Amino acid sequence: MKKSLTMLLSLIFVTSALMTGCGGNNNNKTTNAGEATNAPDATNAAATEEPVSSEPFEMTIRHTQVGADKQKRLAILEDVVGKVQGEVPGLTFKLDGVDSDVNRKEKLRGEMAAGNPPEIFDLFGSPDSKIYAKESKLLDLTPILEELGIKDKFSNLDPFTYEGKIYGLPIGGSGEGFFYNKGYYTEKGWKAPTTFAELEQQLADIKADGKVPLAGASKAGWVPLMLANHLWSRYAGPDVTAKFPTGEAKWSDANVVKGFSKYKEWIDKGYFKKGELGFEYAEYTTQFTSGEAILMYDGTWKSSVFKAGQSGEGMIGKVGFFNIPPVEGGVGDQTALMRDVNNGYGFSASVADDERQLAAVKSFIKNLFNEEMQLRGLVEDGVLPAMKIDQAKLNSSITDDLMSEIVAVLNSSQSSFPAFDSLVQADVTTEISNIQIQSLIGGQTTPEKMGAALQKVQEEANAAVE
Amino acid sequence: MNKALKNPLVFTLFVLPALFLFLMFFVYPIFSSIYYSLTSWNGVSDTVKYTGLTNFKKALGDERFWISAKNNGWFIIFSCFVQVPLIVLFSLLIANVKKLKGLYKTAVFMPAIMSTAVIGILWGFIYEPNIGLINKIIGLFGVDPIYWLSDERFAMLSILITNAWQWTGFYIVMVLAAILSIPGELDEAAKIDGATGVQRALRITLPLIMPIISIVIMLSIAGAMKAADIVIVMTKGGPAGSTEVMATYMIKYAITNFKYGYGNAIAVLIFMFTLVVTAFYQLVIARRNERIEY
Repeated sequence: MKKSLTMLLSLIFVTSALMTGCGGNNNNKTTNAGEATNAPDATNAAATEEPVSSEPFEMTIRHTQVGADKQKRLAILEDVVGKVQGEVPGLTFKLDGVDSDVNRKEKLRGEMAAGNPPEIFDLFGSPDSKIYAKESKLLDLTPILEELGIKDKFSNLDPFTYEGKIYGLPIGGSGEGFFYNKGYYTEKGWKAPTTFAELEQQLADIKADGKVPLAGASKAGWVPLMLANHLWSRYAGPDVTAKFPTGEAKWSDANVVKGFSKYKEWIDKGYFKKGELGFEYAEYTTQFTSGEAILMYDGTWKSSVFKAGQSGEGMIGKVGFFNIPPVEGGVGDQTALMRDVNNGYGFSASVADDERQLAAVKSFIKNLFNEEMQLRGLVEDGVLPAMKIDQAKLNSSITDDLMSEIVAVLNSSQSSFPAFDSLVQADVTTEISNIQIQSLIGGQTTPEKMGAALQKVQEEANAAVE
Repeated sequence: MNKALKNPLVFTLFVLPALFLFLMFFVYPIFSSIYYSLTSWNGVSDTVKYTGLTNFKKALGDERFWISAKNNGWFIIFSCFVQVPLIVLFSLLIANVKKLKGLYKTAVFMPAIMSTAVIGILWGFIYEPNIGLINKIIGLFGVDPIYWLSDERFAMLSILITNAWQWTGFYIVMVLAAILSIPGELDEAAKIDGATGVQRALRITLPLIMPIISIVIMLSIAGAMKAADIVIVMTKGGPAGSTEVMATYMIKYAITNFKYGYGNAIAVLIFMFTLVVTAFYQLVIARRNERIEY
């Protein structure tokens, strides 16, 4: 009997320990939430002259500055974190670094579904922020931006705007074009091409020279799609992609197919590194920095690689940048540059319920989204400012040749258009990124079939929206 | 102790913690998945719209889903007909070595303790078209480089080989334990009767380790049905979706596209397929080799 009783008591003890363990997190959260919500009341009751509690509290920042090439961007974030912690008593930021794609497509979505996203997180503008905003998961930043007086300081907040309210802020902008090996070009006596025929001649000559004309790494579909996107926008017009979801244009239109055909022609001529479907994005850069590939079509963010201490250090001063030249018979502005302001920071809607967290968010926005930090991002990290900055100030901040060339290219383009994935539905993005572009590269489809297949998915997606 | 367990109350209390965990982490997620699979939930919204069997109809009518299911089938076939015979062969060889048995066991087990990400990178180098080990070797015989991971014809095979390499050692250790637990007298008696090494392996050892081989096959089938990480690390389901498996299809076509209802329908289908395949295996094949008594 005594033995049974001991057994029973032990079991009860183990079970309660287990239950306590399982419920621990929630209890803590409740306590913290309780403390947080009670804190202002308690303070108000105790002394009106001391409204801000300095009791320790923690907030999480989910960022994507992981890896060697993003260290400068991380340093900027860390400086901002330091400033905000100094301004908000009791605040400790927990930095949670996650790969950009994992955060965007898996982690943040899971957290949004579960209702527990970090207070501050890396956010993609379109379509992500709009979906989250629609479900009231994001903090409306409009009043904060008005209070801080920076609402009109951003070049473009469209990707983060839903029903007139702003739900996120772009950390920087980017433009896409060709990086080229200046050393090789000088050796050949060439200059950056100004006509499409000249570009194609150079590609052919590089190939004949036994070099790889264009870096290629298409394991992830978005990498080859940067160039493909620009090509179909040259042939069919910069605004054509925006017309797919409205039904005003079709993927199977002759001019769009012309863009796919040009890409396919370059594949068939062997202009891209062979075996590209098996290479990661990191290898894309390596092909260029190693001198194996002479041209690399990429975003201006890549300029950060050609700085001291970075993987492309050996090519400092030897890299140039140019926009795709006008194509013959192309529609619309032939100087149009693919530009994006689609990546930045968003804030959990739950922040609005906690005054101290709200104060921290205001301080974070104030310290990160200002002229100084935008210029630091440009100079140190090669990220174009998302905010409007005086041209003279901008010019005086730029010290390296590559960035000067990039800014010159940006200034010489008459208009810009965003990348396809911020314009079309997620289903269409999946189809073109995971299937169609790789099938085109692998030779399993033709430009015409690709256009037709994409249009089918586009129509289904358009019908689903209606 | 026995007395205590005869008391229904004590018995129930002992069962409760495990039952609670089982309900919370197994039964609840399954029913929750089934519930959401009948909706068009976007994974974020608080409102959930019932859509009946639409998600299932869509999945079963999607050519891409069937390509993924077929690739899971390749995982099973490769496991059962290539990996398992190799496991048995290597187990028999290691069991019969006289020296350094521990070293061999450790060496074959090593890949099983490595993370899939590391293995993906390691084999990425081996399959590298220009400097990779395999192409270097076949190059010695004048064979042109093969684009293992970027050529549709070889990508799936490359993944299957890597996956087999990762898990073979783990199963070898299991089978080895079974071989070493066979009483020595049986082998000795056969030896005295004049049986050769091969005869003893085929007629004595193999039949006696059939139950563990059956378990190995079972685990391989279950592993094949839920394979995802190795595919994500090595090819991301490419080129052009040719190495997609059901789990990666679910991530790509449902989760990343804000279609959690559809994703749950795929999850339910994976669960049902796995259930059918393993039940079939258990009923038709495994039941015959359930127990060995010496």
